[in-house]
Amino acid sequence: MLDILIYGAVISAVYALLAVGFTLIFGVARILNLAHGAFYALGAYCVYTLTANLHVPLVVAAIIAVLLVALFGIAMERVLVRPLRRLPPLAVLMMTLAVGLMVEQILLLIFGSEARNVPSLVESSFNFGGVLLSGQRLLAFFCSVAILGGLWLFMQHTRLGAAILAVSQDPEGARYMGIPSDRIFSIVMGLSAAIAAAAGVLVAPFQSVIPGMGLLPLVKAFAIVIVGGLGSIPGSIVGALLLGYTETIVAFKASIEWSQIVSVAAVLIVLIIRPAGFFGKRAAF
Amino acid sequence: MLKRIAPVLAGSALIASAFAVPARAEDKPILLGINTALQLQVGRDTLDGVRMAVEEINAKGGVLGRKLEVVTADEGESPKEGVAAVNKLTGDNNVNVLIGGYDSGVTLAELPHISRAQTIFLGTGSASPSIQQKVKDDYANYKYLFRVNPINSAKQAASLMDFIKGKLKGELGYTKISILGENAKWVQDMVPYLKKNATEAGLEVPLAEFFDPQTADFSPIFAKVKDSGSQYLLIILSHAASDVFVKQWYDAKVPVAIGGIDVKSQDADFFKRVGGKAISEVTTNFVLRKPITEKSIPWWDAFVKKYNRAPVYSAAGAYDAVYIYADAVSRAKTTDAEPVIKELEKTDYVSPRGRVKFDALHEVQDGPGNVNVIYVQWQNDGERAVVWPKEVASGKMIDPPWMMKN
Amino acid sequence: MLAWGSLSKTDVIAAIAVIALLAVAPLVGSRYIVGIMTVALCYAIWATSWDFMSGLTGRENFGHALFIGTGAYTAGFLNVSFGLSPCWGFPAAAIVAVLFSLVIGIPTLRLRGPYFALAMLSGAVVMQKLSIIFSETTGGQDGLNGLSPMLRSQVSAYYFTLAALVVTVIVLKFIALSPWGTILRAIRGDEATCQAAGINVNFYKISALMISAAFAGFGGALYANYQLQVGPDLFDVALSINIIIMVYVGGMGSIYGAVGGALLLIGLTEGLRSFSEYRLWVYTLILILILFFIPNGVIAPAWVRLREWIKGRGALFTRRASA
Repeated sequence: MLDILIYGAVISAVYALLAVGFTLIFGVARILNLAHGAFYALGAYCVYTLTANLHVPLVVAAIIAVLLVALFGIAMERVLVRPLRRLPPLAVLMMTLAVGLMVEQILLLIFGSEARNVPSLVESSFNFGGVLLSGQRLLAFFCSVAILGGLWLFMQHTRLGAAILAVSQDPEGARYMGIPSDRIFSIVMGLSAAIAAAAGVLVAPFQSVIPGMGLLPLVKAFAIVIVGGLGSIPGSIVGALLLGYTETIVAFKASIEWSQIVSVAAVLIVLIIRPAGFFGKRAAF
Repeated sequence: MLKRIAPVLAGSALIASAFAVPARAEDKPILLGINTALQLQVGRDTLDGVRMAVEEINAKGGVLGRKLEVVTADEGESPKEGVAAVNKLTGDNNVNVLIGGYDSGVTLAELPHISRAQTIFLGTGSASPSIQQKVKDDYANYKYLFRVNPINSAKQAASLMDFIKGKLKGELGYTKISILGENAKWVQDMVPYLKKNATEAGLEVPLAEFFDPQTADFSPIFAKVKDSGSQYLLIILSHAASDVFVKQWYDAKVPVAIGGIDVKSQDADFFKRVGGKAISEVTTNFVLRKPITEKSIPWWDAFVKKYNRAPVYSAAGAYDAVYIYADAVSRAKTTDAEPVIKELEKTDYVSPRGRVKFDALHEVQDGPGNVNVIYVQWQNDGERAVVWPKEVASGKMIDPPWMMKN
Repeated sequence: MLAWGSLSKTDVIAAIAVIALLAVAPLVGSRYIVGIMTVALCYAIWATSWDFMSGLTGRENFGHALFIGTGAYTAGFLNVSFGLSPCWGFPAAAIVAVLFSLVIGIPTLRLRGPYFALAMLSGAVVMQKLSIIFSETTGGQDGLNGLSPMLRSQVSAYYFTLAALVVTVIVLKFIALSPWGTILRAIRGDEATCQAAGINVNFYKISALMISAAFAGFGGALYANYQLQVGPDLFDVALSINIIIMVYVGGMGSIYGAVGGALLLIGLTEGLRSFSEYRLWVYTLILILILFFIPNGVIAPAWVRLREWIKGRGALFTRRASA
């Protein structure tokens, strides 16, 4: 029981991180960013390159990686996405998909297909009443919660946060009020990329750092966000808990082989019962 | 419009270029078609093993006065690409022999196409017994298939049973082991066999599970294995994320030792890749810098010198495949498939891995003196020791560092 | 969105020209080329069937592979496990695919946009994982092997597939141009208004999905007939996504654009083999350029413009002013 509780929480925290970034850019700019997995992968690979090749200390490398990926996200939005905004949303979706594929190919060409090693920040392991937990995983949990908490504070208590909320509710109206919507879109994309990269950095020590590592997190983030309701941050967190705990419970009670399939089936069932997700207001397009 | 004609134009151009090859058969090089997963380490080593053998043979004058030439096609890990690769090599490049293979599913998909092309295939990577079974079920159509490497998965299972009974139970006195495998077909076939035989041998097997290769988190499995009181976790991994598995195992300091078949762990740099966290993991292997035959160490050293890295199992198999084919062609005095097949069946070749002979299913034989499975453990500083079978053991098996009794 | 309107004589002549070109291919191409093109034709059928549903109604189906895999496995089972003649596989594949479309289509009728996309994707993923877990029946990751082909020669398999594609495009284009198709397009425009106008929107949505599934499943059986193997990769997300890309590049909603998109992209992936390990990188780069500069698709808009040009020139040679 305790093990399910703890492991479920740890998994859900990272899922929440991934999902929130994804839903943020959708909620504000109506962009379904299929390059989100690429941001995650880039975060991990940046940290790898900085530590393995440039011998930068881990914490510094982590921060630099997040910043670099944020810049990449902003660049992608400016150069490839913004010009397509007048077209049907599918155009932007396809472009982000292509960017994601491109990033994977470039990573494959530069780093090869074999997994890379990113060292853990915390090497010790912990024992909570018989539940074995590695230090890095615990760190990932706390950092995820901290980042999410920081994001909430930012959105609620800063002017920029208020501007972002305004744009997400009504881009036109916000523009009339003098809020530069376009600039906000870029900033939010950068933020979304940064959060995804942070997730990649946190889990890189204990996940496979391979060029294709972003695909599954993207699909999961997509699923969580839809189930939680597109554009709803609390919805994403609830969705992340649903997915994380379903996987953990099934892995423990039944077999680890069934955990993936049951969580996907759970997503399907939620959608059938609640067509707009838990907290979604109306369908997206 | 142009875009729609492009494939046809390309096809015409390729056909035209085929006519540019000189007509005299005696001068034509012997073409070796290499179909493998070129983007993976296993695939790269297959190609490098082939190239090394080809260079050596060409330096000595080639085969029947003809040089050997290498053509490649990437089969990826997808049956669709595999079939396309095989068709390209046989239909377009008209190779004399196919050498390669890695993923059993891809190879199985390619078989009818290989048969249709009536081209010999020397397998150097796929382990499924179903592949060579076709030689027995339909000799006329599938006599072209030979497996040079590795020992097929059914025999690997038998060898694993031997390890369980001899080492785990016999020497270490374990009574409870758990089994975990990725859900590839050959593993799904192997695990019930292992569980049944282990139980019959007097061991308790509280857990025997499969996992989806997309599993990112093994914590539940480690927790369940630990809670079951198992003393050893037998693992069977090939495509799945071995790196992640051992790192998570090490980080959580799971009080259960691990070992079994872990293909990625056969890489010489695996230990470094996981930051040393593979210590005490045991895995099967077919090549190591140990004197299995008089060719073993010279070959290993030559490979390292040429390519600046240590070889994995596919390199050895590919190297052997080229020599075995070359010998068969020399004896048959032609590259026509039928006579070469007859000669291949009579192969008795001393390779760096052991003595290679084929059985009635064109499988490389195991047994004393032949090619065998050895069990290798990662020890301190990335040193590797052979811990089983007893006859070739070079060191004692160690416990995971956090379990060592002081 | 460009309107794909009605069929003109120029369209028919062009179509016949393309079919003729495709028919000539086996005579000039090697076995390898014929094989690639057979696969490309299967993709064309899958892409066309996707375009029919998603291109017309605007409900993007991110799990089209569900129908493909279901059709292929049905053909595979009948062939290998039950030993039936491969001929049975084709209609059976279509029927089973349609059944699956009902199973997933009816509960998801209320879903729109990305919610619908995800639900369909989930369906495909569930089937994929089931086919791996129950390996004793399905062959797991390796799938079902050793299918016997319906026709001995590879070339006749090619022509059979080509014929199937032609029939698919004709049938689907016909439906798309009919009042049925108009209603589907209206649903994409504004579902609420259609409902208010008394149209049984659910009927049209589910029937479009069923038709789409039938052809996709049939295409799956064709693929199995060529490949002689079926595996869980036929349920894969990547397959669904690739098909969407093909339709998008071809021009969504045009039906025939999907064919061009499929041929173009398959031709590109194979034709770029000389780039060896850079092949996919170059492919993705070309894709990005297309998506950026030609976002309405390449094939269909290009054809529309070409057709206008031909009509303009043709007026000089025909008695009537318009073709």
